[in-house]
Amino acid sequence: MAIMAIPAFLRGPTDPNVTGPQVITSWKLGPLTINLTETVVLEWIVVAVILGLACFLTRNLKVRGVSKRQAVAEMAVETITKLVRDTMGRRWLWFTPYIASVFCFSIFGSLISLFGVRAVTSDFSVLLSWAAVTFLIITWTKIRYGGIGGYLKGFADPMPVMLPINILSEVATPAAMALRHFGNIAGGGIIMMLVYYGLANASHMIGLDIAVFDVGIPAVLSLYFDLFSDFMQAFIFIMLTMVFVSNAGPAEDEASAS
Amino acid sequence: MVSLPAAVAAAEVKLPFLSIDTGTILFTLINLAILVFGLKHFLFKPVNDILAKRQEAVDKSLTEAEQAKSEAEAAQAEYAEKLAAAKEESAEMIRRATRRAQERSDEIVAAAKAEAAAVMQQNEAELEREKRRAASELRSEVSGLAVMVAEKVVEREINPADHARLIDEFIDSVGDVQ
Repeated sequence: MAIMAIPAFLRGPTDPNVTGPQVITSWKLGPLTINLTETVVLEWIVVAVILGLACFLTRNLKVRGVSKRQAVAEMAVETITKLVRDTMGRRWLWFTPYIASVFCFSIFGSLISLFGVRAVTSDFSVLLSWAAVTFLIITWTKIRYGGIGGYLKGFADPMPVMLPINILSEVATPAAMALRHFGNIAGGGIIMMLVYYGLANASHMIGLDIAVFDVGIPAVLSLYFDLFSDFMQAFIFIMLTMVFVSNAGPAEDEASAS
Repeated sequence: MVSLPAAVAAAEVKLPFLSIDTGTILFTLINLAILVFGLKHFLFKPVNDILAKRQEAVDKSLTEAEQAKSEAEAAQAEYAEKLAAAKEESAEMIRRATRRAQERSDEIVAAAKAEAAAVMQQNEAELEREKRRAASELRSEVSGLAVMVAEKVVEREINPADHARLIDEFIDSVGDVQ
C-alpha cells in the first residue's frame, strides 16, 4: 500500500507491551543483585534538573528589589512551608525540605514521561522507597514521643486481640501510599500507550500508513493522565505523609506543654 | 535514549511491570537524600535567610516609624502648649498696653485741662493788671485834664497850695463818681 518507504516511527506504536524498566547494568554483591535501571538514570536527571532549578532561582537573592526569579523561589518556599505548618504544626517545620523534595521528585519524575521516556514514578520500587521513608519517620515519631514500650503497647490497643490487625494497618499505610501512586501513574501510562496504539491502528484501518490520529487527539487525555494525575498523586503522597507522621506524635499543645 | 554498554544492550533485560528491585530502592534512597540536602542547602536556606532578613528590616522600620510617630506627637503637644502660652502672653500684653494707653490718655487730658486752667488764670491776672494800669493812667491824665479845665474855668493864677488842694478835691470827687 505504501507508495514510498516511510520511517517506521511514523506508523505509530505497533506492538504495545507492558514491561518494567530496562536494566542497564547490574552488579553481583554476594547474594544480592544490584541493578542499575533506566529508572535510576532518569532519577539522576530529575534530581539534577530540580537542583539546577533551585540554584537558578536562588541566584543573587536580595532583600529589596526582588527579581521575578526570586519571587518564584520565595513563593515556592513560603507555600510549601505554610502547607507543612498548617497540616503538621510548627514543631514539624524542619520536615519541610523532605516534603518539598518528595513533592518535586514525584512531580518531575512523573512529568518526565512527557518526553517519551518511562515515568520514574511508574516503577514500584521508587514509590516503595519513599513510602518506606515515611514509614520509618512514623515509627521514629511514635518511639520518640511514646518510648519503645509505648510503641509496642500501641499494637495491643485497645485489646491484645487486635495485634494482627494493628500490625497489618501499620504495614498497610506505606504499602497503600506506594501502590496508590504507582497504580495511578503506571496505569495512566498504560492507558496512554493503548490510546496511541489504538489510534495508530485506526489510522491504518482507514488506509493511512502514517498514524495521523495520534496527532493531537491523545493530548486531551494526556492532560488528565499526565498533568492532572501527576500533580494529584504528588500532592496526595505528601499530604498523606504529613498527616500520618504528624498523627504519630501527640497533638501540638501536648507536645509544647511537655 | 540512554547509551548502553554493548554487551548489556544486546541482552535488553527488562524488569517485570510490578517489581521490587533492591538496586532501584537503594539508588532511589540515595537520590532522595541528595535531593533533600540539595534543596535544603540551595533553596530553603538562602530563601529563608533572605525572608528572615526582610522580616528583620520590616520590624526595624516599623519600630522606627512608631518611635518617630511618638516623637512627633510629643513635639506637637509641646508646640500646642507653647502656642497656648504665647497666646496667653500676647493677650496679657495687649491688656497691659491698653491699660497703660488709657492711663496715659487720662494723664494727658488731665494735664491739658490743668494747663488750660493755668492759662485762664494767667489771662485773668493779666487782665486785672491791665485794668489797674489803665485806671492809674486814666487817673494821671484826668488830673492834668482837670488842671487844664480848672485854669480855663478860673482864668486866674492860683497859688500852688490852692492848686494842690483843688486837684485833690477834684480827684476825690471823680473817684467818688467812679
